[in-house]
Amino acid sequence: MSILLRNIIRFAFLLLIQVFVLNKILIHQLVSPYLYMLFILALPFNLPRPVVMLLGFLMGISLDMFSNTMGIHAAACVFVAYLRPFIINVLSPQGGFETTQKTPSMTSMGVSQFLIYAAVLVFLHHVVFFTLEVFGFGNPLYLMLKILLSTAASLILIVLYELLFFTKK
Amino acid sequence: MRNLIIFFRRYFNFFLFLLLEVICIVLVFQNNNLQRSAYLNSANDISGKMYDKYNNVQYYFHLKATNDSLVAENTRLHNAIRTSFDSVVTGTGLKIDTIRQYSDDTLHRVIGTQIRRYKYFEAKVINNSVNKPINYLTIHRGSLQGIRPNMGVISSSGVVGVVRSVSDNYAVVLSMLSKSNSVSISARLGQGKEMGSVHWDGDNATYAQLKDIPKSAKVHKGDTVVTSGFSALFPENIPIGYVDTVMLSDKAGTSFNIRLRLATNFYNVQYVYVIENLLKDEQQRLEDSTYKLIK
Repeated sequence: MSILLRNIIRFAFLLLIQVFVLNKILIHQLVSPYLYMLFILALPFNLPRPVVMLLGFLMGISLDMFSNTMGIHAAACVFVAYLRPFIINVLSPQGGFETTQKTPSMTSMGVSQFLIYAAVLVFLHHVVFFTLEVFGFGNPLYLMLKILLSTAASLILIVLYELLFFTKK
Repeated sequence: MRNLIIFFRRYFNFFLFLLLEVICIVLVFQNNNLQRSAYLNSANDISGKMYDKYNNVQYYFHLKATNDSLVAENTRLHNAIRTSFDSVVTGTGLKIDTIRQYSDDTLHRVIGTQIRRYKYFEAKVINNSVNKPINYLTIHRGSLQGIRPNMGVISSSGVVGVVRSVSDNYAVVLSMLSKSNSVSISARLGQGKEMGSVHWDGDNATYAQLKDIPKSAKVHKGDTVVTSGFSALFPENIPIGYVDTVMLSDKAGTSFNIRLRLATNFYNVQYVYVIENLLKDEQQRLEDSTYKLIK
């Protein structure tokens, strides 16, 4: 399957999963897992940065349309898309990742590398998203707890997704 | 000039990032207007239809609870209807017929508004959330079916929220579960009639806070709190919740902080009623002109 097709399918799949499954799950007021930004995390390494940002914006605004949070998801997504190359640069070994694997995943980056990559970006996404959503630092403890617990929940989902769809060869 | 172009080329990514973020933030703030058009929210055609399809499946699993609530409401209405009362002596009280105020044809023209003040539309809930700081419901009934922004919405058991934006066939309702200063419902105690206002504290979808009830009021656990009817959104005496715990707001405070158990179960609300206040404009005009006089 070509990379383009793969990403288009992933876009639709993650959006639907987010809207119709994850947004309907009530675990606790403090825990709301998000999986859809995995689309941005899993875009190919060599994609130009403006394209990554525009795709992030598109993903965010599509989800905003469903969840009545105009612009909040989009802001968080663009933020993550902008910072993605920096994180990849920091984590990549000398001479970059292997060129045979074109997208970030557990197999191409190594398990620990990928976990750090995902954890940092998911955490940043949640910081921007929940800060904008709550809008105000009136209750910082609540905000911090919500960010941390939701990051943990989202990370578990991302790892599960990776294990399901990127089996080791 | 050359240097400027080079500068822009070098930091192109950063400027694109700033541009996109500014667009997002502008969208966030525009969204805060209470009156806004409905392009990019769940009332639009694409997401509205998809939520509709989703609800067709999910609705099936709630049939039992929905039926139970509808039967309970029917019973309540049967008990309220006039034929349930013994009316051998007809001359004792003034009884006003509020039924025949509309023409019988499909237009439902208003024949007289002297008595009828509220008109109810039923609507199906196709999307709902309870775990966000500000929650919305999407209902399958829009401007073509007579819904306009700022109409009150109730369920069979109590208050739900206020219509915020409408498209042709869908409407988005701002749920009572909204942690915002602008969302408060004018309430009063069912027994003592003391006035207060109900807020949601963003914590739990089954509880809300009732504030500004004076210390002199007699409040007991389980008392009903109903709408006051002052706000022109809701008729009076629609249940909002039931008193759960009563606290003083502080040691020297003059008012109670009351925790309410909400009358509406927001976890499984399937059908709602949208209320049109036929006299709202008149009330609004009169109040506005009075405020102007004082200024």
